[in-house]
Amino acid sequence: MNTNKPAPPRWANRLLHWYCAPHLLEEIEGDLQEEFHYQVKHYSITKARLDYIRSVIGFIKPFAIQRKSSSPNTTLSMNMLIHFLIVAFRNLKRHKSFSFINIAGLSLGMTCCIFIILWIRDERSMDNFHKDGDRLYNFYQVIRANGEVNGSYTTPVRYDKKYYTPFDSITKVIPDIKAINFYATGYEKPWGRPENFQVGDKLYKSEGSRTSSDFFNLFNYEVLAGDPHTALSDISSIAISRKMAEFLFDSPENAMGKTIRYENKLDLVVTAVFENIPVHSSLKFDFLLNWQLQMNGKLEWSSSNVLTTIKLSETAKADEVTVAVNRLLQTYIDKNAPFQTEIGLQPFRDLYLISNFADGKPSGGRIEYINIFSGVAVFILIIACINFMNLSTARSVKRAKEVGVRKVVGSSRSSLIAQFFGESVVLSFLALLLSLAWVALFLTPFNELTGKQITLPLTDLTLWLTFIALMLMTGIVAGSYPALFLSSLKPAGILKGVLRFTPGALWFRKGLAGFQFAISITLLIVTIVMSRQTSYVQHTSLGYDRENLIYVPIEGELSNPQGYASLKQQLTGQPGIAMVDRCSEVPFAMNFVVDINTDGDINTNDINDSAIKWEGKEKNTATGFMPMSVGIDFIKLMDLKVIEGRGFSKEISTDTADAFLVNETAVKQMGMKDPIGKWISAWKKKGRIIGILKDYHIHSFHDAIKPLIIDVKEFEYWGMVLVRTEPGKTKEALASMEKVYKSVNPKFPFAYKFLDQEYEKMYRNEQVITKLSNAFAILAIGISCLGLLGLVMFSAEQRTKEFGIRKVLGASIVNIMGLLSKEFMILVAVSFCIAAPAAGYFMNQWLQGFAFKIPLSWWIFASAGAGATLIALLTICYQAIQSAIANPVKSLKAE
Amino acid sequence: MKRVYLGEFEEIVLLLVASLKGEAYGVNITHEIMEQTEREVRLNQVHASLQRLEEKGMITSRMSEPVAERGGRRKRLFKITAYGKQTLNDIKTVRTHLWSLLPSSI
Repeated sequence: MNTNKPAPPRWANRLLHWYCAPHLLEEIEGDLQEEFHYQVKHYSITKARLDYIRSVIGFIKPFAIQRKSSSPNTTLSMNMLIHFLIVAFRNLKRHKSFSFINIAGLSLGMTCCIFIILWIRDERSMDNFHKDGDRLYNFYQVIRANGEVNGSYTTPVRYDKKYYTPFDSITKVIPDIKAINFYATGYEKPWGRPENFQVGDKLYKSEGSRTSSDFFNLFNYEVLAGDPHTALSDISSIAISRKMAEFLFDSPENAMGKTIRYENKLDLVVTAVFENIPVHSSLKFDFLLNWQLQMNGKLEWSSSNVLTTIKLSETAKADEVTVAVNRLLQTYIDKNAPFQTEIGLQPFRDLYLISNFADGKPSGGRIEYINIFSGVAVFILIIACINFMNLSTARSVKRAKEVGVRKVVGSSRSSLIAQFFGESVVLSFLALLLSLAWVALFLTPFNELTGKQITLPLTDLTLWLTFIALMLMTGIVAGSYPALFLSSLKPAGILKGVLRFTPGALWFRKGLAGFQFAISITLLIVTIVMSRQTSYVQHTSLGYDRENLIYVPIEGELSNPQGYASLKQQLTGQPGIAMVDRCSEVPFAMNFVVDINTDGDINTNDINDSAIKWEGKEKNTATGFMPMSVGIDFIKLMDLKVIEGRGFSKEISTDTADAFLVNETAVKQMGMKDPIGKWISAWKKKGRIIGILKDYHIHSFHDAIKPLIIDVKEFEYWGMVLVRTEPGKTKEALASMEKVYKSVNPKFPFAYKFLDQEYEKMYRNEQVITKLSNAFAILAIGISCLGLLGLVMFSAEQRTKEFGIRKVLGASIVNIMGLLSKEFMILVAVSFCIAAPAAGYFMNQWLQGFAFKIPLSWWIFASAGAGATLIALLTICYQAIQSAIANPVKSLKAE
Repeated sequence: MKRVYLGEFEEIVLLLVASLKGEAYGVNITHEIMEQTEREVRLNQVHASLQRLEEKGMITSRMSEPVAERGGRRKRLFKITAYGKQTLNDIKTVRTHLWSLLPSSI
């Protein structure tokens, strides 16, 4: 073509080439060119160029851009589908070990996922069975004092120093609130315990609650007999569970209208029998007593944590109701109080999952574990998918020829992609079947581990849809890389010779394997830290001897001085029993705090002022003392250490009258120097500090040690009897205890608890989480190793000839193993560098929940890294040895 | 009878395809429209129209031999189909009928 010939602007042409669909390009460009030359001839070059540009831009329209679908017959025919399936199964059969690793890896990942899905589903269904669940709200109270904000579910019945519940009449003042209910358990700490019932000579001990008469109107607990609306309207009424009715009266119907003796002091009439509390209820009770009866002081202690729940009208808005409630509340509150009180609303169904408070708002709690495990589920599934990708790409050397032939015969790229996706979905379907079998097999141990009663709900459609979605997602994610990679291969290249990977593709796959290892190492570190912390809280000395300690609640006859004295006297000296005494609270989980906001005059002799005061106390200092009254032998019985002064002593008669022991923290908080002999007053009793106790744990390790003050009261009508048994003689001790107990307190069943067991129960959550993370870490490492094995196999296969030549030239077995191992060791090292800081950060967050915790020492990370390296090395060695000892003649003879 | 809707511009393009007797392609149709109707049209409008007409089945196309003045590129030549002719006839019949309804004074 003549170079002088006028030509259309080049950039416009490039633009056209870029956007125009290939099958239209020829005619469009041809027409444009022809028109251009026509215009050059008839008008001018400028006009022709301008016109060309305008036309090119004018062609930017969907019809010109849209690509023709690459295969004209995109509808996959039935024959094609069947063909794909046959090829897929043939491939499965031909490469048994690969298929096994693939399916096993995927199914392990899916099993984890399904278990976690089931667990989360179960957690989320807690408290979700109430019909009007979305209209039920709990009150929570926010107190602002001295710049601190504290939130809690406790909504005290007391405001303005008067016993008054402004909420009693709330349904009349705020019409949007249809009903209000107060609920308090009778069994929670500090002084709660199972209560006792008697019908004829049948004794029954059980944990129950007190509640307003609207209870069954708000909550949908199934009532078997009696009218739910009026069940608790009378103060002498009691509603009992089916279990209790069957034990005491043989059947629910029989129980109606019958009388039950409560704590051997009150007769109650059964007005309703309800079905045993479902597992998905966070409110647990075996019987319900009337709220008013509690307020009248006729019942035993109830928890001071009163849960207030309201039911809104259908049209009510929660935030408007909150404003109205607070407006009402402010009219009752003492304006001069040094703190502000507010009420907030939380949906009732969130109570179980979000039970902690931060900045006065509900936040955190079990929901954190749900989030963590959702993350773990996703990551384990990703690990399994990556595995699949790595293995199938490694195998692609073998599949590449098939792709080449298919392409030559005329298969389009999209149908190849469909084929590979189809194969991976088939594999993930098989994996799903396998993992459902795993789940069915391991459901019982899983339930034991988590303390749940999860079943596989085979009729739940949404769950099946979830599983199918899981299967499709896994199949597509896992199949994406092989499908896109293999289908992109150029047939000429494949059919001519060896398949070569670009460095990019190799890096990508190494990156995937590195990612897998990073997750595994993270999980490994998490596991080590959690196990260490769990064993730390279980095996660290608490400052007292928790072994061989049994405790029994003080109730019935033991609530009388003679009863208690007789029990103590008879028990002392019995076989197996070393010492007997009492205390007012469980020593490992003290709960009662002296009201930190009350503060009287420091020199008052007012005996009604129960605040704790001491020599040199400044006004308005609040320490939040935990008070305890104990028998005189308590210090010896618990084996507590006195670091200054002395313990209580029987020889000194004034000890029962005015002696106090405090712990080190208390001394620090009071800011006292030389505390021995200084006066202190607590519980309407003024006395002297006679000794200082070494700090011991009065709570779980989640909380710091609080200031403690102990005085002697040889008798009190509540609390517990502590029995120190002789080591190895628990059986004898229990036998003698039962005998004595039955004779002293015949109307109450003998119920004892081992202190060390109850102590461990406080860490049930942590134990479960630790066991779960152990299991998941092992799985993750296992799956990652499968992936690594795949990579090494591939790498070894690619370099067979190279190794052959090296061996011929004199390389030793160690040389070759080193060659093969080096790059993977670097991979593990890099992933460790990524994993360690991330895991360190998460574990630091987790440990913040403990006041007493292990340090995050370097060796935790080091051992996790070393462990991962070792496991990886073993995996690599398996293949490396095979390559290294292979006879070079074999690899070199075929060319 | 259910009839396919044909826009005014599409109708003109279809008529021209028919009149160019199998030699119709983007450039000559554009030129014809400009000459016969004195309207300003662009190639892309004509192409879009042709595309639609082909989708509707009123015209078919084939590729020509390479043409030197197009830089060795081929033309896409369009030809009217029986269905296209039928549609044009239908339109004409309806128009004639409508004209016959007019009072003679116009």
